[in-house]
Amino acid sequence: MDEKFDCIVIGGGVAGLAAAMTLARNNMKFLLIERGEFAGSKNVSGGVLWGSDLAKLVPNYWEEEDGGWERFINHRRLTLMDEQSAFTLDFKSSHFNETPYNGVVVLRSKFDNWLSGKVQEAIDASDYAMDSFIATNIKVDEVLMENDKAVGIKTGEDEFHADSVIIAEGVNNLLTRQVGLQDDYVPADHMLTGIKEIIRFDQEVLEQKFQLNGLSGMSNEFVGWATDGIEGGGFLYTNRDTISLGLVLGIKDMREKKKSPHDVLNHFKTHPAIADIIKDGEVVEYSAHVVSSGDKRAMPKELYKDGILLAGESANLLMNAGKAIQGMDYAMRSGILAAETIVQAKDKGDFSSATLKEYRKVMDESYVMKDINGFQDAVHLLHTETMQQKVPNLICDFGRQFFSIKNEPTPKSKDMLKGAVKRHASYWELAKLGFKAGKSL
Amino acid sequence: MKNLKLTERLGLVSYRNQSKSEIKPHIVVDTDICNSTCPHKCTTWVCPANCYTMDENDQVHFQVEDCIECGTCMYACDQGAVDWNFPDPEVGRGVTWNFG
Repeated sequence: MDEKFDCIVIGGGVAGLAAAMTLARNNMKFLLIERGEFAGSKNVSGGVLWGSDLAKLVPNYWEEEDGGWERFINHRRLTLMDEQSAFTLDFKSSHFNETPYNGVVVLRSKFDNWLSGKVQEAIDASDYAMDSFIATNIKVDEVLMENDKAVGIKTGEDEFHADSVIIAEGVNNLLTRQVGLQDDYVPADHMLTGIKEIIRFDQEVLEQKFQLNGLSGMSNEFVGWATDGIEGGGFLYTNRDTISLGLVLGIKDMREKKKSPHDVLNHFKTHPAIADIIKDGEVVEYSAHVVSSGDKRAMPKELYKDGILLAGESANLLMNAGKAIQGMDYAMRSGILAAETIVQAKDKGDFSSATLKEYRKVMDESYVMKDINGFQDAVHLLHTETMQQKVPNLICDFGRQFFSIKNEPTPKSKDMLKGAVKRHASYWELAKLGFKAGKSL
Repeated sequence: MKNLKLTERLGLVSYRNQSKSEIKPHIVVDTDICNSTCPHKCTTWVCPANCYTMDENDQVHFQVEDCIECGTCMYACDQGAVDWNFPDPEVGRGVTWNFG
């Protein structure tokens, strides 16, 4: 392997594998390096892969008997919680049964491994079947730079050379920092810790519990009491015979409020609405991983430099603007676009910023940066105390009154609402919130 | 469902190179900083694997064996005490997720 590659892709996650697939399909000679035993072995997500880009990489993936995904989502829930209650917005539609699916739940150790098998098939079918590789168990120590242009990578004593490097190393982006695209120290302000348990059930029990049909699945996000006063939220996704139950918790907030993520997870699990769901399950894995919040202030300075492109969480491409936690779909799209830019660069014979800046342009024109740029106010709003605590408390208070039947004269709903508002916030606060929400969403 | 203790949770994690008696730590913590100038010692509660502990004299200790490579401490420590890296596949610790 002393020959030069067109591209070295660092990281076998969704972004790296999407890039690799695109490179293979375009007959590029590349090396994908993964530090784990296999692609996916180090990776953790919530997680739902939203949107339909997967069908671009693996056409008709849904026809496969046992593909790498768990369930497709046709049932969405958003729950506001206080200590005793859960008030849920619930939407289920057979519209979402149609392929390509609107989103699939994945477990990364299985999904990424499966996708990496598909990439290998694409390599085998390419002109470089014998010269492109997926190499596992290798940790990249350094991106090799010459005159401030990437020329390859270093691992231990070994060097591999390439015209370009796609950094898809994930949120803990040490190489992105090494090449100067991100500060050496990234403060905790806009970073969160994702923490989750995989809880197993008898598959039939799980399907009855969540009213699942075949491979249909449900996603449920939680706001309010779930996080014990810490900025963030909860999630529950159905897999084949397990659920992914977890939280994302602001690191700065945990530091200041002296809360441990595993304690907050225990707190969440004791909520009556959650306890009833999980009571006959068995925890089979516990995991955690940092995620970015979608706040642009935490993002790397640029997505490219001479010989280098950033894809996925390396560039902090993740956002929760209230509708869904999107990260893997951003990783997939950015990986595809990064690889397409490398294909163009090879055609031109120029891998400098002059060509690679095209990546910035196509990213800015894509839904990824359009959404991240367009929903910054929503991200900020979602992380305010009003949205995180007062609104869930208020709504649950109202719900409790509205649904109580007391064999006495029932107050008008507007008076119940008035009372709930008074107890938890103020009209002025809600008016401000409504105005901001109207603008940002 | 009974909540699990953290040790029970970590017992479900598959760690790498468990048969090796000597491993190369992928995170190096300058606990002198934790134990002299740090105003909060937050790693002792934000770490999801409890790799940072406080003894009865309020001294911070660090062990890398239980680390699940999440990265939380790298951001939480604003004192420059945490030198964070990825574990070496051959001689490091770290995880292999069964589900992920």
